Amino acid sequence: MIWLAWRQHRKQALFTAIGLALLAALMVPTGLAMRHTFAGLGLDDCVGALGTASMIPAAADTCGKASTQFNSQYGVMTLIGVLFLVLPLLAGLFWGAPLVAREIEQGTHRMVWTQGVSRGHWALVKFGVAGAVALVASLVYGLGVSWWLTPMSQAGQHGRFNLFFFDMQGTAPIGYTIFAVALGIFAGTVWPKVLPAMSATLVGFLALRIALTTLARPHYLPAHVLTFPIEDATEQTNPAAGDWILSYGIRDATGKMITANAQIACAPDATGPGAACGADIGITSGNYNWQLYQPGSRYWLFQGIETGIFIAVAALLLYLAIRRVRRAA
Amino acid sequence: MEIVLETDQLGKKYGKTWALRDCSLRLPTGRVAALVGPNGAGKSTLLHLAVGLLRPDAGSVRVFDRTPYDDVAVLSEVGFVAQDTPLYRDFTAEELFTMGAKLNRRFDTALAHRRLAQIGIPRGKPVGKLSGGQRAQVALALAMGKRPRLLLLDEPVASIDPLARREFLEALMGVAAETGTTVLLSSHILADLERTCDYLIVLHAAQVRLVGDVSALLAEHRRLVGPGDGGPLPAGVVQVVRAEHTDRQSTLLARMNAALRDPAWKAYDVTVEDLILAYLADGDSRPRAAWEVPA
Repeated sequence: MIWLAWRQHRKQALFTAIGLALLAALMVPTGLAMRHTFAGLGLDDCVGALGTASMIPAAADTCGKASTQFNSQYGVMTLIGVLFLVLPLLAGLFWGAPLVAREIEQGTHRMVWTQGVSRGHWALVKFGVAGAVALVASLVYGLGVSWWLTPMSQAGQHGRFNLFFFDMQGTAPIGYTIFAVALGIFAGTVWPKVLPAMSATLVGFLALRIALTTLARPHYLPAHVLTFPIEDATEQTNPAAGDWILSYGIRDATGKMITANAQIACAPDATGPGAACGADIGITSGNYNWQLYQPGSRYWLFQGIETGIFIAVAALLLYLAIRRVRRAA
Repeated sequence: MEIVLETDQLGKKYGKTWALRDCSLRLPTGRVAALVGPNGAGKSTLLHLAVGLLRPDAGSVRVFDRTPYDDVAVLSEVGFVAQDTPLYRDFTAEELFTMGAKLNRRFDTALAHRRLAQIGIPRGKPVGKLSGGQRAQVALALAMGKRPRLLLLDEPVASIDPLARREFLEALMGVAAETGTTVLLSSHILADLERTCDYLIVLHAAQVRLVGDVSALLAEHRRLVGPGDGGPLPAGVVQVVRAEHTDRQSTLLARMNAALRDPAWKAYDVTVEDLILAYLADGDSRPRAAWEVPA
């Protein structure tokens, strides 16, 4: 039975492998080049010195100049990230959805379900082989992208905890890929034609991904609140902390948000432009900076939760798919 | 006599429509049986029930005295060639036989290969590149490789040309005779069946109209031609299957239990095709209630 599953789908597995090899051919050189530039700009040492605390002394060097330079050189690479976000969906569409749907659409289930192997066994092996290939592929690409993105995350602007960047590295892509494949398989047992199954997979995948990302992920654990003064600031936020900042702004003494999405810090005895420290835009004494965030130290915990949810949903879908195959009548 | 396939009040519905209803029949071992009926009569439904692809909604179906629905033990005794002979088109015949060997506890790969070699079908070519007739032969060889005790074929020759159809049926008869396999073959091409089958099952509008041994059925049915005056039926008629009337004469296809003695009537032999067509005709074609034989 494993022989059959492999023989039937080896072409798709081969295409997957070729796709991953092409990606690697693109990512390994650029990843190495990024690392080279990163070190050349002195960012390695500079970022290392910043540590991972959320706040650092105001006088500390935030590596701003070098990191701006790095980002202006490699920022365009983040566009490739869109591709990484889509990869799990592609696996669901072209690997999961046809698995059962094509058999039934072409009537070959009548041949294979009447051999001396039960349908439950057939489904289990076939889904197992598909799942194993998806697991290996997503493991390679999830960890590969993590490696590739590290310099960009460390350079501050595209922290690994941020939306989209969180979704394309670590273990999350494994969860997404397994889920997409399971959803495709399940959709194929409900709509036993390839195109409707693919459509259902597309809709279902986007629905759960968007819903969880926007509604659930910020609340996996209670967010932390950080406040710090505007005037006579002795501390500043650490760009290397890797925190996921959910919202921030300036609040007045009563706690009312007066300017959202803004942060001001004035050094003691500042002179020159800006010395008024926001007085011209209505900042008065008693106002303070406020931010709601998930600390960067929770990154792997959140990765685990995100992956776990998608794996659990995938397991449920596969169970339902096997049941549907066994009871199809 | 051992019964290979037995159904009792078997029914299957899709939504609210019965695709098969009150189907009771028994297929003895060693027969080559034809399952006949127009499209949509329930032939595929019956075969799918027999091979466990479908679960009955009413009654029961038993193959070798077991329930075939998802029963691996039965499936390994039954060869099935589904409609349009579905095969993995990118597989070669050789790979399909490998599949057969891996999916069945007992599979005679050598036999399957031998069959293909006899009819000159290349084993190394993807079956999607073979002609429809050759593909049907590969499907038959795959089914025969299981060395089944019952072989079910759903419209195996519907989509292939007459010459290939004849070759296919000859091959089928050959292996059936050689191995003693019981065969149940559905078709709506009547001419093919006359030569090949010795048992007949006629399905129409989801119900069984006629079941039995072909020679026995032919022996007890007669085409009777007699006066068109609506007079009494000749003695010996048990059932009028179909009647046609003109002013001058009546033509009946009737089931008899004795030879015809009435000199006003003449009896003629019927063919399998006559029989099938008579039983497939709707009850509406029997206008005169007087012809009905009281139960």
